[in-house]
Amino acid sequence: MITAAAVVPSPPLLARQLTGRQVVLPELREACAVAAGRLLARPADVVVVVGAGPQAAAWEPDGQLNLAAWGPTRGGLGGRSEPGKPGLPLALGIGAALLDEAGYAGRRELRAIDGGASTPDCLAIGAEVARLDTSVALLVVGDGSARCTPAAPGYFDERAEAFTASVETALRTGDMAALAGLDVALAAELMATGRAAWQVLAGAIGPRRRVPGDVLYADAPFGVSYLVALLDLG
Amino acid sequence: MTSGHPTGGAAAPREPGPLRLGSKEFGPRDRLVMAIVNRTPDSFYRPGVTWDEGAALARVDEVVAEGADILDVGGVPAKPGQEVTAHEEIRRVVPFIAAVRAAYPDLVISADTWRHDVGRAACEAGANLLNDTWGGWDPKLPDVAAELGAGLVCSHAGGLPPRTRPFRVWYDDVVADVLDTVLGLAGRALRAGVDQARIIIDPAHDFGKNSWHSLEVTRRLSELTTTGWPVLLSASHKDFVGETLDAGIEERLAGTLATTAVAAWQGARVFRAHNVAQTRQALDMVAAIQGDLLPARAVRGLT
Repeated sequence: MITAAAVVPSPPLLARQLTGRQVVLPELREACAVAAGRLLARPADVVVVVGAGPQAAAWEPDGQLNLAAWGPTRGGLGGRSEPGKPGLPLALGIGAALLDEAGYAGRRELRAIDGGASTPDCLAIGAEVARLDTSVALLVVGDGSARCTPAAPGYFDERAEAFTASVETALRTGDMAALAGLDVALAAELMATGRAAWQVLAGAIGPRRRVPGDVLYADAPFGVSYLVALLDLG
Repeated sequence: MTSGHPTGGAAAPREPGPLRLGSKEFGPRDRLVMAIVNRTPDSFYRPGVTWDEGAALARVDEVVAEGADILDVGGVPAKPGQEVTAHEEIRRVVPFIAAVRAAYPDLVISADTWRHDVGRAACEAGANLLNDTWGGWDPKLPDVAAELGAGLVCSHAGGLPPRTRPFRVWYDDVVADVLDTVLGLAGRALRAGVDQARIIIDPAHDFGKNSWHSLEVTRRLSELTTTGWPVLLSASHKDFVGETLDAGIEERLAGTLATTAVAAWQGARVFRAHNVAQTRQALDMVAAIQGDLLPARAVRGLT
């Protein structure tokens, strides 16, 4: 049973150490912290983190992002990843770090999904999480289009604006059918790497349900659409 | 090499440790900018620009704002010319040092002098470091540093008397000669009672050297830094940069900064500079490449 769900993005810059001396996007960091805090405020037996990885896989719950892969430097940037142990996929690493920063020490499951998985597969994975016989707080880690502006990593695609607006509206209104109906090919072309994770969310809550949603952050300061939202499942 | 070469044991190599200047302590991986403010009408770079005391004090404000760690005040140009007596040198630098000390209680102030009587007056007015560019010409200078708790820069000037130009100088091995001299002077300073943590060594580019010698010293600077003694680089706008690049006095910044980066990479710790902001930037870049300084703001590829 899903008790609450939060949606956060996973730019590596959310790992505080990676941006150097300055804090980058404090308002995004704050929104993510608020979302995590509200997610964890609901009593649940386990937090399930879902995000795209190279392939579907369960990762060890004490996994970490390998900061050296993103920010190699003399002496390292800290973190507690062990040498030789593979780092988590980006989305799971960012999600795990968010739980750590929120002080969460309870049970967690880290589930990587194939970022290119079909909609039915995503919905099925979500339904499977919902059927767990424990109460589950769901942390969905996924990013919007990386083609929102000419300065964006993927340059500008004029279709990004409407796509981003549709996802934001779906989260604001808790419209799971809209998430389930996202165009897989378009999302891929728009470099919206969070599409699969959002559709797992739709599968977990129910692809025809509509629940109250609260969007805490929706912007694309570097041309990548970041969405932070909390869905209230009563 | 004749005069200026000390007798007695040379200082031994040591473990790198903190550098103490005034009340401040700097770690072995800190890179300090020593800003030049000359109280002369005729120094080689932009002569007379800080001859006026008001202009000199304004320049101090500027270099402090640009991130200078040390202020180096000189009253006698290195080149030959009209005699500047100790009395005149004191008149030029000591009231100025007192004024800077009053305005900046914590700033590290260095007096660029070879004379012990000038050094004494400078330290009594607030200087923390004696920058003896002429290679220990006046043997009483270390005694003054020891007595007044100041630091001392031990330089290699090839045995030349103050304010003389190199004439047909040659060395079997210039770096070996530099090491011999600066460690000898450091040993003399230790015996005089100068605090080990306040001694700096300086190969003194261009002093008693032709441009080949200065390039060789730069190329092999790690032979100085690996002694563990803090190394000062004084290369800003000097003739070896100009001759190497066929560049006039105003066109030597790029060459100066390249020399700065190469020296910093090899572990030099103090950088005497006319261009403080640019030197600070070059040093920060080297520090980040070496992994001693985090980038100010890394976002590229991380969004």
